[in-house]
Amino acid sequence: MPASALAPAVLALVTLGLAGPPSAGAQTVATLSAHFTPLQLGGRTTLDFGFAFSAPAREVPPPLTEVQLRYPGNLGIGLSGLGLAQCSPQALEASGPSGCPADSVMGYGVAYTGIVLGTTPVAEDAPITVFRAPDQQGHLALLFNAEGVAPVQTRIVFPGLLLPAPSPFGGLVSIGIPLVPTLPGAPYISVIHLRATIGPQRVTYYERVGGVTLAYKPRGILLPGGCPRSGFPFAARFGFADGSFSSAQTNIACPDPRRHRRARPRR
Amino acid sequence: MTWRSKTPLALAAAALVAALSAAPLAAQALKASDTARLRYTAASGSVLIEQGRASGTLPGTMHARFSIGATFSGSFTIYAVGGSISGHGAATPKGSGVYESFSGSLNVTGGSGRYRRARGRARLYGTFDRADYALVVQTVGTLYY
Repeated sequence: MPASALAPAVLALVTLGLAGPPSAGAQTVATLSAHFTPLQLGGRTTLDFGFAFSAPAREVPPPLTEVQLRYPGNLGIGLSGLGLAQCSPQALEASGPSGCPADSVMGYGVAYTGIVLGTTPVAEDAPITVFRAPDQQGHLALLFNAEGVAPVQTRIVFPGLLLPAPSPFGGLVSIGIPLVPTLPGAPYISVIHLRATIGPQRVTYYERVGGVTLAYKPRGILLPGGCPRSGFPFAARFGFADGSFSSAQTNIACPDPRRHRRARPRR
Repeated sequence: MTWRSKTPLALAAAALVAALSAAPLAAQALKASDTARLRYTAASGSVLIEQGRASGTLPGTMHARFSIGATFSGSFTIYAVGGSISGHGAATPKGSGVYESFSGSLNVTGGSGRYRRARGRARLYGTFDRADYALVVQTVGTLYY
C-alpha cells in the first residue's frame, strides 16, 4: 500500500482534540443498491452498485476490511469486452492509473470515507478506478485504485477476485480492503458509502486498425433475454476491523414488459 | 432327461446369455484427438450458443451451448458419420487480451446411432476470441462406444 500523507487541514483538526474511535459495539447497518444502465433485457448494460453503512450521530462505522458482493447468474460479464488488458499491482502502485493500459479499465466509482478526529467527524471522497488484474489461481482478478486528496491525501490499491457462488448467484466479487492509517493514535479511515460501476459508461478503449489507433466504447455486460421472477438478486457481506460483520441484499426489479416492448428496435 | 444331463446345457445357455449381455460392455475404445472451430450463433446473458466444424478422429458438425463466467462450462453435441456424441465440460480461462485461453475437461455422456452407448473423458484446450466470440477447442481423450 502506498504511503499516506496528511493534509494540513487534518493536522489542524487533530491538534484540537484526541482522535476518537469509530463506532463499536453496536451492529453496523449496511444497505446495498444496484442498477443496470440501461435496463433492457437482451441488451448491453453497465452495472452500478453501491453500499452504505450507518453509525450513530457523530460517529463513523468501524473500518471496512472485506466485501463479498454476490451478483446474479446469467450476467454476460465475460462477454462485455471489458478488461481486454491487465494492469499489474506493481504498475498501479508505482505510477497510479496512468501506469495501466486503457483497455484494463473496467469501471469507475467513488468512496466516501470518514474519521472522527477528537469529536469532529471528517469526511472525504476518494475517486475509484477499477482495473482488470492478472488472474489469480484461475480466477479473474480486479484491482481497485482509490485516491483521496483532502483532508487526507492518500492512495490505496486493493484487490478483488471473481469467485463462484451458489445459485441464484452467478458469482461473487471478493474484495479485501487494507486499513488506511491517518496519524499515530488516530483511527483508521472508515468507508461510509461506496458506489462504483462495472461497464462501458465513461470507459474508452483503443484498438489498432490499419496502423491507426481508434477509440471505441466496450460493448458492456450482456443481460439475459428473460428476467428472473423476483428480479436480479444481489447480496453482500461486509467484514469490519473490529471483527464484526454485516450483510445486505437487494434486487433489480424486472423492467415493465410494456416499456420493454416499446424499447425494442423495429425491423 | 435327468438333472445331470440338463446341467451342461443349462451351463452353456447361461454362458451364452452372459456373453450376449456382456457384449455391449465390451465397447470399442477410440483414442480421439479433435479440433473444433465454432462461431457465434446467439447469446443471452452469460450463455453463448455456437456451432461449427470438428475435424480429426471424429469429424462432423458441432453444436455447443456454454456459459462464460468465472469458469467456462456447457454442453455439446457432435454430429458425426453414423451418429451423434453428446456431453458436457468445464474449463478455466486464463490470461487476457482479445484471445483468452482456457483448459479443462469434458465428459461424453451419450449419443445416438452407432455412438448411442458413447462414454468417455477428454482433456480440452482452446482459445476464446472476446471480440467476435469465436471458439477453437482441441480435445484429446478416449471414447468408448
